[in-house]
Amino acid sequence: MEPVERTELSILSEIGRISTSADDLHRKLQRIIEVVMRGIGKEGASVFLLDRSGKNVILEAAAGLNQEAVGKLTFPLGKGIAGWVAQQKVPLALADPYSDPRFQYVPETGIERFKSLVAAPIMDEDRCFGVIFVLSGQTWNATSSEVTVLTTTANQISGVIRNTLLFQDIEDRLARLASIYEISMALTSTLDLNQLLSLIARNTSSSLRAQGCTIHLLDLPAGDGENRDFRPKFIDDAVGGLDNLFGGRMLSSTIGEKRPLLVADTSQDIRLQDISGRHRVSIISVPLLFHDRVTGVITLYSAEHGQSFNDDDLQFLTTIASGAAVAVENAALFEREERLASDARIRAQEFSILYDVGTAMSATLNLDRLLRIILTAATMGGTGLGFNRAILLLTNERTNILQGMMGVGPTSWDEANQAWTEVAWKHKSLMEWIQTGELFASKDTAFNAIARSIRVRLEPGDSILAQTVLDKRAFNIIDAAADPRVRKDVLEMLKVNSFATVPLVAKGRAIGAILVDNLFTNRPITDHDIRFLTMFAHQAALAIDNAVIHSNMEAMNRDIRIIHEQLAQSEKMAALGTMMAEITHEIRNPLVSIGGFTRRLARKVTDPDAKKYIDIILSEVGRLERIIHDNLEYIKNVAPKFSRTPLNSVIEEVLLVYEDELRQRGIAIERELSPDAPSLDMDPQQMKQAVVNLVVNAMEAMEKGGTLTARTGPVAGSREAIMEIGDTGPGISPESMHNLFNPYYTTKVRGTGLGLAITHRIVKAHKGNIVFRNKETGGAVFAIRLPLPRE
Amino acid sequence: MKKILVVDDEENICSLYREELEEMGYEVTTVLDGSSAIAAIEKARYDLVTLDMRMKGMDGIETLRKLKEKDARLPIIISSAYEEYKNDFGSWASDAYIVKSADTAALRDTVKKILG
Repeated sequence: MEPVERTELSILSEIGRISTSADDLHRKLQRIIEVVMRGIGKEGASVFLLDRSGKNVILEAAAGLNQEAVGKLTFPLGKGIAGWVAQQKVPLALADPYSDPRFQYVPETGIERFKSLVAAPIMDEDRCFGVIFVLSGQTWNATSSEVTVLTTTANQISGVIRNTLLFQDIEDRLARLASIYEISMALTSTLDLNQLLSLIARNTSSSLRAQGCTIHLLDLPAGDGENRDFRPKFIDDAVGGLDNLFGGRMLSSTIGEKRPLLVADTSQDIRLQDISGRHRVSIISVPLLFHDRVTGVITLYSAEHGQSFNDDDLQFLTTIASGAAVAVENAALFEREERLASDARIRAQEFSILYDVGTAMSATLNLDRLLRIILTAATMGGTGLGFNRAILLLTNERTNILQGMMGVGPTSWDEANQAWTEVAWKHKSLMEWIQTGELFASKDTAFNAIARSIRVRLEPGDSILAQTVLDKRAFNIIDAAADPRVRKDVLEMLKVNSFATVPLVAKGRAIGAILVDNLFTNRPITDHDIRFLTMFAHQAALAIDNAVIHSNMEAMNRDIRIIHEQLAQSEKMAALGTMMAEITHEIRNPLVSIGGFTRRLARKVTDPDAKKYIDIILSEVGRLERIIHDNLEYIKNVAPKFSRTPLNSVIEEVLLVYEDELRQRGIAIERELSPDAPSLDMDPQQMKQAVVNLVVNAMEAMEKGGTLTARTGPVAGSREAIMEIGDTGPGISPESMHNLFNPYYTTKVRGTGLGLAITHRIVKAHKGNIVFRNKETGGAVFAIRLPLPRE
Repeated sequence: MKKILVVDDEENICSLYREELEEMGYEVTTVLDGSSAIAAIEKARYDLVTLDMRMKGMDGIETLRKLKEKDARLPIIISSAYEEYKNDFGSWASDAYIVKSADTAALRDTVKKILG
């Protein structure tokens, strides 16, 4: 056997053994070139393989060369010896490659250690996988049989490569199938959109050995489908910059054509050349299609020096995308339902609050308590509406004014902290507060005082509060200082720049308003807050309306009861009067007989003892007659007969009658009758009776003499005239004061006790009043005030 | 001598008035009811009548009207234990209205004023 043949056989059998080993392609190639190098008896060998694009050759394994160049050294097809051989698909033997024009020197390789080389294409039928080199340290003019050995070896290697590539391809496909399975499992296992997107991104990136991934999604449907945008939902940090550069272009193209898009090399692609610059990036962009609608786009980037994507990758991503589209849609739907469910939950909570508050409100018909409940509900967290402060105002239809009724909320930060800590600590519901009575404990806060001082005229344009009631609508004031509708004085009082007002509407009538703010937490009042507050206010308004009706009914009942009592009283008095009249009549006749005959007897009797007894009888008869007279006076209750009478004349006439008696009792009269004392509409007889009673009263108070003062005059600053009778007696004792005008009350030994009661009744019948006082100098003064006649 | 008719259903009052008026120098006749009073003025001429208001049988008001029918110019003094009719009868129906009192001064003064 020829040495060459033996060499060839030994090499081929060695390669056969290597090809069935478990090594990967790189390792197999490394072992093969070492076998070839030794078999041929040279110092170096190497293998270049075409990359996936088929446009470059890359150094895959080397012996005798610098190992650092492996995986790095590349030549475009047709360039360098390797590129030329791969392109021409013919072997080449060069004794002096350095002088050959096709040679390209790359210092990093360490090629300068060699003098000659032989290269053969690794062919599989027509397809070229790469190039194998044998390098010689000595000048080597290779024989044709040596070249044949290398070519045969190359053919053998191509089988190894083909098998390995096939195996790798199967492995890749299996891996991708596994990946697709994994992704589809994941897609059905999660409904969290963000989690889902990151899963898709992670799996596709790793399966396709991409540098990173971005996912854009169409906005979730919000009402109509118009004007919806694709927004980035997922961006790998590694490719953020690339996405900024290429993303837009890829996106519009993918969405526009509804087709996957593959860019092998951005610098070579005419659609992206203008923006690519020096970047050499490979991109695949696949639409997420749901019911033939583009709902999103997945874009994968493979950066410079990375592997460029091919049609297989595109196919793979498209497969993933079709599953992902459904999963994303499901997740989006789920997210929307979640949001709806959460809305429903909030709504349910609100209804529960409204229900609680409603129950609480129905617990009382007392207006003051009701307002307290309403405002507490508005300011309570948890089971309430949770505003910081709230004021309730009610309209007064008579005066056309909106009046602050009550304010609940802290006045200062300290108070706020304290109050809220306390409330939070107690964990009480509104109903518990009401039941324990805690809610109604005295709360005369400064804020309540402020609230109660608010008065707003109900006229258009007067203020936002008036507008709330007049327009029956809510207002949410964000910047009160800049809002011309807000009255500055109210603003000054509340010291808040953002607040909201809602009307209290009951049965179509605006009966007031509620003002709320978040002075301390500064939480903005949302439209949703306003909607809820409006519902709350509606309920509150009905409760207030009920309480007001109830209170009116109570007042009416009270009035009816009073009238009833008065009626019963006057009926009783009338019956009493009739009876008294009968009795006095029956008593008076015998009295007249007793007294009349006793007087006659007195004229005939001379015995001093008998005279004394007769005097006693006469005096007692006189007293009885007086009692009868006074009783009849009090009972008969005649309506006054008015005539215009000078006030002074009434007093003058009474004094005239009593002048002598007063003088006899050692009582001086002091007249201070003002010439300005007016004429009044009065019943002169009754008024004289009233004054007589005062004069008699004064006289009897001054048993040891004294001074009676009579005074009249107009009352400054009042449409009244005054008439006074004063004495210098002992004055009125404190215990008497309350009973002075009560009928049958007397402190005197003699008297019926009806005098002052009669005077009081007469003065009342004249729409005047009577008061008394003790003078500092001693004695009492009774003053009658009477109204001036109407002009 | 002027003649006075005293009409009162209280015998004691009649006696009292008679004694007081006779003392003043008048001739006094007393009757105890309204019909007797009318019968009396039909039988004799009187210068003055004192008339009680509330009497058994024909009451004062009825008697007053009938007396006035017989003799419209006959002066009549109403003498009553009631105070409350003073305003009503004082003016239109009679010449005077006195409230009965143990002190007969009012009676005497009024009679004197009318009869002179």
